[in-house]
Amino acid sequence: MVQFLVKRFIGLIFVIICVTFITFILGFKAPGDPIRALLGQHFDPQTYAQLKHQYGLDLPWYQQYYNYITGLFRLNFGYSIHYQGESVWDILKAGVPVSTELGFWGLILTIVIGIPTGIFSALKANTWVDTLNMGTALILYALPSFVLAVFLQLLIVWVDKWTGIEWPVSNWGNPWQYTLTDIQYKLGPILVYSAVSFAYFARLARTTMLEVLRQDYVRTARAKGLLERVVVYRHALRNALIPLVTVIGLSIGFLVVGVFFIEQIFNIPGIGTTALEAISNRDYPVIQATTVLGAVAVVFGNLIADILYSVVDPRIKAE
Amino acid sequence: MDTADKNPEFSSPEITPPAAAPSPLQTNIVIESENVLAAPGSPEEQQQQPEKTPTPFQDSLRKLRRDKRAIASAVIILLFVILPIIGPPIYQHIGDIYNSPTSGSINAAVYHSPFHTELTRQDEGPSAQYWLGTDAIGRDLLARMLQGMLISLIVAVSVEIVNVVLGIGIGVLAGFFGGWIDQLLARFTDVMFAFPGLLFAILITGIFGTAADTAFSNVPLIGANGNARLIIVSLALAMTTWPLMARFVRGQTLQLKEQQFIEAARTSGTSNKQIIIRHIIPNLFSIVIVAATLDISGTIIGEAGLSFLGLGVQSPGSSIGLMINDARNLIDTHPWEILLPSIVLTLIVLAFSFLGDGLRDAFDPRAKD
Repeated sequence: MVQFLVKRFIGLIFVIICVTFITFILGFKAPGDPIRALLGQHFDPQTYAQLKHQYGLDLPWYQQYYNYITGLFRLNFGYSIHYQGESVWDILKAGVPVSTELGFWGLILTIVIGIPTGIFSALKANTWVDTLNMGTALILYALPSFVLAVFLQLLIVWVDKWTGIEWPVSNWGNPWQYTLTDIQYKLGPILVYSAVSFAYFARLARTTMLEVLRQDYVRTARAKGLLERVVVYRHALRNALIPLVTVIGLSIGFLVVGVFFIEQIFNIPGIGTTALEAISNRDYPVIQATTVLGAVAVVFGNLIADILYSVVDPRIKAE
Repeated sequence: MDTADKNPEFSSPEITPPAAAPSPLQTNIVIESENVLAAPGSPEEQQQQPEKTPTPFQDSLRKLRRDKRAIASAVIILLFVILPIIGPPIYQHIGDIYNSPTSGSINAAVYHSPFHTELTRQDEGPSAQYWLGTDAIGRDLLARMLQGMLISLIVAVSVEIVNVVLGIGIGVLAGFFGGWIDQLLARFTDVMFAFPGLLFAILITGIFGTAADTAFSNVPLIGANGNARLIIVSLALAMTTWPLMARFVRGQTLQLKEQQFIEAARTSGTSNKQIIIRHIIPNLFSIVIVAATLDISGTIIGEAGLSFLGLGVQSPGSSIGLMINDARNLIDTHPWEILLPSIVLTLIVLAFSFLGDGLRDAFDPRAKD
């Protein structure tokens, strides 16, 4: 198992190096000179050279990359070009709690709603409950989050008009606080945000559960007269969960990308918003930092999934 | 995870292909007829009456025709392809001369253009002049909707061409020859899986977007109307979809390679090139068509999403995602403007998903009910 984890870990480091290299090269090769753009009309060669040196942009690319990588390990993402003198981390700092809060609840809802729905559907396979569940899941999975968000917002506006309840359509409360107003702000975005991944989980949970229920050991358990409850929860469910654990990493991928769209449509001040603002300001260090953060989140999700996988499935140790 | 590897289309244990099959097509006839008729018997007996057994392709089409959801989806997709092409020329010929307070006397070709702004006619509902109403700066919503659909269509088609060509090309090479190309593909797909595709597309379009605006501004058709970034968008989306396609194709090629008809072809002296062109690629048809249909829905979401984030089509151009973003702050006062593009995108995306599922059910021999 240790060998397995070490191997996975090396693989993940390889992925991180690739990602940082790609983002670095893209930023390095990016058209337009950020310093020149920054100076604009106040261009003079001396300040230009000085700034260029200050940002380390006068070094050859491999040296810049080395500085960039070693900076990353110290959580030093360099300095913003658009907001002079501010470090990238200072700019990201405000958005990080908001986005991680979104991600946290998204993951919780994915597991808490997705898996039970799928298992329940499998147990009631081919009844109207199953059809309804899977139909909804298919639609939620297929639609992009920003369209789901539009439908939810329209629903809220409509309910507001008819009942007179003042329920906010957008914005975000205080991060990690849950007063009534905070919950009003957060409930909608979080639901829409996790819809894609919990729908995916529900579909997958149904398939794996159905597969397990068809296995010989489940038939044996039934044949020896065990209660249906025991068969389902002790024999089938545990085995059905194994493949689900591995896709948690995949759902983290959904969640990281979802941040951009959810934050844009609900006007949420998270890292996604920061990144989009940086893109329109051509603030490359900030763009690079957000991409690397997103990729690291996904990579760690995969690592956690691997660890969980080897915990729930003893056969992994044998490999 | 990798469904392609599990797909037993040609390797179910109960299937015994004839010892020397002259072509893959005939092998399939026999396999399918055994399954359909559930008639045990030697292949020779079956081949004596070939006119009664449908080819697997015909069999799949028959199954597809019975799938009402897939048929309805196909109709929507047909509309999605036809409307944006023939719609605008017709629409621009319907309507009287309008005396505009700002632009003088104009005909339908002008005010039914997706780019013409009529500042005195903002946020209107549907009327005889503007069939679906106008947006916040008085542009015709129907014209913009059709233009947006055209953009989706163009991006979907161009991305899918790259996706299928690269996916089949590299997937077959990796599956057939293995070796370093297979290793390279495996590592590359690993990175692509760990790194969400849309995040990559956001990064690429974000960094090269403004440069593309200036670089392609003189290219005919693409340069005008804020569409310059579509080249970057299409490239980024194609980059993120082909590795998965290549992996499906690779898995399928690995299975095909072990089939007896390939062995037969090889023993009879057929070259690798001929085996790939005549025997492997034709047999990839079903898996590629299913994957491509499902990918199209992802590509359309990708383009709409990037335009929604402000990274795709730029104003005054039109795109479904851009229309949603434009109407974002009008949700309280003019909900119709955001509802329209959202519904159209929903219909298109669901149609491709349902058709993809229907095709998979029809072409996958496991899905017999």
